[in-house]
Amino acid sequence: MSAKYHQHTVFLFALLLAMAGCKEKDYAIPEPKGVMQNDAIKRSIGPNLVGQRIEFTYAMALPAARGKLVSAQVDASIAGAPATFLEHRSFYTNSSGVDVGVEVGSPSVNKDNATTVTFTKDTMAATLRYYYVVPEEARGKSVKFTFTGKSSNGETVTYNLGPYNISVQDMKLDLKPVDAAACYISIEDMAVYTAAEAATRPDKIDLVYVYRTTSNYLHSFVAPSANAQYLPGVTLPNGVNRATKLIRTWNLRDQQLARLQFGVFIDDADFEKQRFDAATDAAINTKAEAGLWVLTADGKYKAYVFVNAVNNTAKSATVSIKRYRLN
Amino acid sequence: MKRYISITAAVLLAAMTWLGCKKDQPVDEDGLLITTRAECYVSNFELLGADFQTVRTKNAVIDTTACTINVEVFFGTDLKNLWPQFSLVTDAKLDPKITGKVDFSDLANPKQYTVVSGNRQVRKTYKIFITVKP
Repeated sequence: MSAKYHQHTVFLFALLLAMAGCKEKDYAIPEPKGVMQNDAIKRSIGPNLVGQRIEFTYAMALPAARGKLVSAQVDASIAGAPATFLEHRSFYTNSSGVDVGVEVGSPSVNKDNATTVTFTKDTMAATLRYYYVVPEEARGKSVKFTFTGKSSNGETVTYNLGPYNISVQDMKLDLKPVDAAACYISIEDMAVYTAAEAATRPDKIDLVYVYRTTSNYLHSFVAPSANAQYLPGVTLPNGVNRATKLIRTWNLRDQQLARLQFGVFIDDADFEKQRFDAATDAAINTKAEAGLWVLTADGKYKAYVFVNAVNNTAKSATVSIKRYRLN
Repeated sequence: MKRYISITAAVLLAAMTWLGCKKDQPVDEDGLLITTRAECYVSNFELLGADFQTVRTKNAVIDTTACTINVEVFFGTDLKNLWPQFSLVTDAKLDPKITGKVDFSDLANPKQYTVVSGNRQVRKTYKIFITVKP
């Protein structure tokens, strides 16, 4: 009994397997939907900073028999800064890898929260780039986008993206402190000052940039309150004495500051988490592509100062700063 | 047949008892094996700063007779937050243990670490002298 049983079961299984194995799927060309369609993606990555662009692309298409594109519109939940625009050109990439624009409409118009492009060419498919410049009022909030396309026979398509959080932090690129000249760095103003300028605002000077030719000093960023041995030959202007805390770090090449190939970003959460227990008051002999976490003396700002480049002959450095307000 | 089985059983039983009575390898309070090695020295020493980069200007000088380690660090090194790393001879361990950043800023009273040999019988205390490169 049992042997027969087994035999039958095995046989049945084999049959089933054979059947499953022989099933062939016929390929069928997918049927296009005979209606207007659209799609959108966000192209930019990293934290969304005030004053910076967020880039999207919006694609619309419809069958030739159903008319042509009339307009494309983007509505942002918070109106973008005046520089916000929707590209009125469709791009293709030529054989040299260069994006070439083909004009399909009139330049975009911003009205309230909406940015609109009206098509001037007879076109049934277009991909338009949309650059949203984050306004000040969006800081710390989130923004949603609605993309709308209209066709000549009255069809409308919409696509929603977001919400996207806008970071609280600020960014300032390519400040150039110069030794013995504009060497006083203010985190609060995100600027560099000369000694004369620093004397008028001593409560805002957080770092002093010093260059000395001795091989163990070179390019250094020192808190004004630091021991005099770390400020050789520097006479601080009256009242410049803030006890800034700083931590030097390597391999943190934030893409927005460094603009290098590293896909690393510092967002608000990183500033929140950054501790200053191991902080010191001088970063002596700092090399290019190093960075400093900075906590201002009044506890108002945390910042990340990235050293883009140093120049021994000009006795200067190039730094970019991200700053996060704590209270 | 029966006799065979009983003999086998007896042999097995004996083997088991013998195995069961084998003493475990001795371990110390950290769960580390206590071995027979009596060597007790530091073979290499490294100091890292808060940014996990070395702060040594050159190799540390380790005197295993006088039990001293002399290390010169870069000008501007933050001596309050240094992370020492010892390489020890096989099976040895360090006392006190290094659990994180160490404050070396009191240059007058050098930090001391004791190396304990593999058999846990030999203890040697090393002093770490830090000089800052001018």
